[in-house]
Amino acid sequence: MEQNRILKLQKSIENLQSKSSRIYLFVQDTKGNPRASVRYIYQMGMALKNNGFNPIILHEKPEYVGVAEWLGPEYMELPHKPIEGQNLEISPEDFLIIPEIFGFIMEQVKDLPCAKIVLCQAYDHMMETLQPGFGWTNYGFYKCITTSEFQKDYISSIMRGVSTDVLPLYIDEKFKPTSTTQKPIVAVHSRDQRKTLNFIKSFYLKFPQYRWITFRDMRGLTEDEFANSLQECFLSVWIDETSGFGTFPMESMKCGVPVIGKIPSLFPHWINEDNGLWLSEETKLTDFTADFIQNWLEDNIKPELYTEMEKTVSSLSSKETFETSVTKFFTDYLETRYESFNEQLTKLKTEE
Amino acid sequence: MENTFNLSVILPIKTATAKDFDEFFEKAIKSVSEQQTSVNELVIVHTDEELLTKKITEYDFGNLNVKKLVWSDEANFANQVNFGISQSESEWVSILEFDDEYSSIWFKNVKKYSEIYKDVSAFLPIVIDVDEKGTFAGFTNEATFAQNFSQEIGFLTNETLQEYQNFQTSGMAFKKSLVNDFGGIKSNFKLTFVYEFLLRLTFNSVRVMTIPKIGYKHINLREGSIFWNHKYGADKLSENEVKFWIDSAKKEYFFADERPLNYEPQV
Repeated sequence: MEQNRILKLQKSIENLQSKSSRIYLFVQDTKGNPRASVRYIYQMGMALKNNGFNPIILHEKPEYVGVAEWLGPEYMELPHKPIEGQNLEISPEDFLIIPEIFGFIMEQVKDLPCAKIVLCQAYDHMMETLQPGFGWTNYGFYKCITTSEFQKDYISSIMRGVSTDVLPLYIDEKFKPTSTTQKPIVAVHSRDQRKTLNFIKSFYLKFPQYRWITFRDMRGLTEDEFANSLQECFLSVWIDETSGFGTFPMESMKCGVPVIGKIPSLFPHWINEDNGLWLSEETKLTDFTADFIQNWLEDNIKPELYTEMEKTVSSLSSKETFETSVTKFFTDYLETRYESFNEQLTKLKTEE
Repeated sequence: MENTFNLSVILPIKTATAKDFDEFFEKAIKSVSEQQTSVNELVIVHTDEELLTKKITEYDFGNLNVKKLVWSDEANFANQVNFGISQSESEWVSILEFDDEYSSIWFKNVKKYSEIYKDVSAFLPIVIDVDEKGTFAGFTNEATFAQNFSQEIGFLTNETLQEYQNFQTSGMAFKKSLVNDFGGIKSNFKLTFVYEFLLRLTFNSVRVMTIPKIGYKHINLREGSIFWNHKYGADKLSENEVKFWIDSAKKEYFFADERPLNYEPQV
């Protein structure tokens, strides 16, 4: 019996040393619809693969649509496995990463012996499928990855006993200023589509003289279409009360497109009074948009705004720094697991 | 010079007796001299009216390079413009009406856009239309940006002009060579000479683009102006005649030269 445990531990240690432990990253099937949170998981998977780890994208059903259409076919080259219909091989040296919204899956996997990590990109989804009085630790999740310091603070204040690491996302290089000129198009992004429609309708009613200004709902575009469309715009409007990072304003700024935004509940660390127009009242968005349009048409936008935007995005992670952070996080965690397994092995051998 | 655009502003003037002429003229000239990117020259084509000649002769144009040309024939906006263009010495030209104004950013933007969009030979400004009191009335030339208007956002095509006529060439910057290649503004047209000119340019595959910047301020239906006269004045046009001139524009744009055109009222 003891000998068997020793052999298993030795095998686990070997896998940890050779980085062949499986790192399962669970994703939601968006049925081919683009979603920033899913993109982040795939980027993480790709970073792991590029650095010699063994990532596997985990999805619920065998008939998974995938991300080739909107994110790129190269991401579908990562190994994929469905939970349903297969006996998922999970060993103690493996890692399982579950997005915060899947509380019910956390419950299902609570007895698995592997390392379990919550990936929390949207703090407002944390409680959605958790039972009252239950936290992540109740399901054996003691580690969390999030995307910003302010989310980390919030998570730490709620989920006691969970250690949280920040792996800030990066904005792809395809988000860059247009090589020609910006057009009178405003990109609008809101979590709730009703807000986009309400904003556009109110604006046209209030400022009929600007009916020729196009508002573009940025939903449902592929990654390339999204970046190309954004480049053409001269302004972005951002309405996302529960944003956990602010990907859209960052993408806009990287394209040289100023942002008018409603300040989210959790104040993002990158907002300052010079890098955009940040409002606390959503009802004022239309007025500020009209003012901005007039100033843009008259070349009256202060150049300092664009300088500040550049400064803000220059402080973001690049693809390289993102990969470095992901690699470091998993290398450290592997190391911790290795030490723990080694300790157990030594103990067993001593007892033997 | 780096901060100059190779363009001549053509300013045709009929009379100095128009209401508030001095005030309008002053503003128009100032709008040329205060450009963030200057232009080569200002070509004024004025009638030989004594008062007008005196005012233009005595006016202090500051540092502007001004060419003053007397038009001794019967006053005619199109003929005066065409003459001014023929005498201009720049690659680009732009028509200014004495009661209108350029915005100070206009030629800076034309220069910038002409360097980026090298296949475009005519740039329309967004025009702010105001009434005689200066109150905002609306925009012109903005329609090229409206959704489902044009196949390529910002560009004016012959196809879209067939459906929508409300564009204006005053303030537009265009290559002088277009007039040599496809003809100037036709003087025998009433009301729709601008429309016919744009139809002709686009029919000949000239790329016409609106720059999404305020470039020009225009007073709508100023008392005594050509269009005011066609709507309210001595030369008031009937509905049938308006239709005739629109239809004529759609028939004549195939031809570079003017052909005889006469409206015969239906009895």
